Amino acid sequence: MPHIVMESIIKSYGDVRVLDGCSLSVEKGQVMTLLGPSGCGKTTLLRTLAGFVEPDAGRVLVGGIDITALPPNRRSVGYVFQNYALFPHLTVAENVAYGLKVRRRPGPEIKDRVARALDIVSLGPLGDRYPAQLSGGQQQRVAIARVLVLEPDVLLLDEPFNALDAKLRLSMQTELRKLIERLGITSIFVTHDQSEAMMLSDQVAVMRAGTFEQVAPPLAIYDRPANPFVATFIGRANILPVGLRAGAVVDFPAVVAERPDGPADLIVRPENLTLAAGRIDPGTGQSGPPGTVLFAIAQGPTIEYEVDAGFPEPLRVTVNRRSGEVPLAAGSPVSIGVIDPAACRVIERGTP
Amino acid sequence: MKAMTWSDRLWTALFVLLAGFALLLLVAPSLVVIAISFEPRAYISFPPSGFSLKWYQSLLQNRQLTDSIWVSLTISVYVALIGLVLGVPAAFAAVRGTFPGKASLNAFLLSPQMMPGMVIGIASLFFGAYFAFRASNAMLVAALSVFCLPFVIRITMARLAGLDPRLDEASANLGAGKLETFARVTLPQLGPALLAAGAFTFIEAFDNVTVALFTSDVRGRPLPVELYYLVQNDSTPAIAAISAIEIGLSFLVMLVVARTVGLERLGR
Ligand SMILES: Nc1ncnc2c1ncn2[C@@H]1O[C@H](COP(=O)(O)OP(=O)(O)O)[C@@H](O)[C@H]1O
Ligand SMILES: [Mg+2]
Repeated sequence: MPHIVMESIIKSYGDVRVLDGCSLSVEKGQVMTLLGPSGCGKTTLLRTLAGFVEPDAGRVLVGGIDITALPPNRRSVGYVFQNYALFPHLTVAENVAYGLKVRRRPGPEIKDRVARALDIVSLGPLGDRYPAQLSGGQQQRVAIARVLVLEPDVLLLDEPFNALDAKLRLSMQTELRKLIERLGITSIFVTHDQSEAMMLSDQVAVMRAGTFEQVAPPLAIYDRPANPFVATFIGRANILPVGLRAGAVVDFPAVVAERPDGPADLIVRPENLTLAAGRIDPGTGQSGPPGTVLFAIAQGPTIEYEVDAGFPEPLRVTVNRRSGEVPLAAGSPVSIGVIDPAACRVIERGTP
Repeated sequence: MKAMTWSDRLWTALFVLLAGFALLLLVAPSLVVIAISFEPRAYISFPPSGFSLKWYQSLLQNRQLTDSIWVSLTISVYVALIGLVLGVPAAFAAVRGTFPGKASLNAFLLSPQMMPGMVIGIASLFFGAYFAFRASNAMLVAALSVFCLPFVIRITMARLAGLDPRLDEASANLGAGKLETFARVTLPQLGPALLAAGAFTFIEAFDNVTVALFTSDVRGRPLPVELYYLVQNDSTPAIAAISAIEIGLSFLVMLVVARTVGLERLGR
């Protein structure tokens, strides 16, 4: 039985339906990421789990127990706020001790557990500082220690790395992932950064406008995106209007589809395409349509091409670059090939 | 920095002059009063003809006056406390509450400040008379509390509005109930503002004449009323001496507030 279950959560503010029937389950000890563009309802969903938002309909269960009606202070759900929300009038140690004091734990125990929690996030020596005297990364670690010290069943983090610079972010991401793995706390992250989602999570839930578009492990989402929205939100993708005949795509005969003949959309990632100069099969044995190079840019290990292959939008092709290789000039005739036809997705025409 | 042109300099000079003049207008009377209080002769003159503390001594011997200082101090403490006890929850409702008619309630709570103190004084007197209450210092405390409530509410509201509501949520998330969150998170951050509000109310209650004139006790008058009657039949520098003491007292309170909270908090 999953550790966290959210059942058809609905929440509206005025006329705006912010959560439109969200259902989600997370296994014990797993890390789930909510990924989606700004304003799609990620924070609201997280706040529903923490009890700050009362859903109009739906249920929230943790460990099989319905907590929908439970006030926030009676839930064992740690929440790391987007801006950390540290108490400015308390020192780092007092911030971390807060939940234990509220629980009326004995003084020596509090001291002990606070010291251990600060050690876990490598803030041992900074216990006497005030939040304003800390860097963004240190503040974040205080916020994490403040909830971890209570050993919650569930850990929720709302865009925890947003305020950090790129370098610090990477190290914090790996640190946090290790920490969560070690403590085995079921966690839900919010992010709008796809690489963060790929890196941190066991499962990714891609959200759009208050609903889930796809919930799956990160690589499964990358390899088999459910629709163009997911395909373009995670990684890049060509969405091509194509025709189907006899169970195969007309322009890319190697790509088969179990769909009726007629119009369809083909999702194919740029790195799953290749090209060769001239009008010859580019060697994959999976030939596609001929085209003309519109634009090319070499990026060290790869070359990014934009090719006019008769589709409404230029086709994007990423090829590996051999040492010394120069990109083909604009206007060069090329042939397009698919590397792995099984990694292409054929979907109904016009799916958003 | 760019060199100042002549017109820039002219404007700056003019501005400094004007500011200096305004400051002079505000401060000069106080300084004159303080100077006069040291006059050794029995009538008011400026500049003083010498230096003496005899009028300060005479104040100490005037039982009626020393009593009235005590009355005023007591009244001011009561008014400040009542103001805080009523004003802080009201400010909470005004900032955090969500209920119909919130805007009108705000306007109602702040309205005593728009009214002249005299009106409040007379209204209290009539209101009291209706219930057969005679003017008394208890009535004065009640009337002044109404009059001063907006100070407390406004200062507290300004600070409350500046607090991050996320902190309350964080506190709840860490297990604290509403009361505990108030005691551990909100109140400590509100502290300086409450001190400022209390000090402000105290000063206002201490030197208010307009409300006190109508509602205070006939015996045991508060200081401002006592002074008011004193100036009518006395014109010795004793008046200046007591004023100087009041000026000094206000200055002291403001100094304490400035040191502990910062004066800019009061303005907001
Ligand atoms: N308390 C609220 N009152 C009104 N609208 C809200 C409230 N909270 C969120 N919203 C709206 O709900 C939508 C989703 O917000 P949010 O969950 O914060 O999105 P995300 O975290 O994905 O960026 C936004 O359009 C936001 O304006
Ligand atoms: Mg958000």
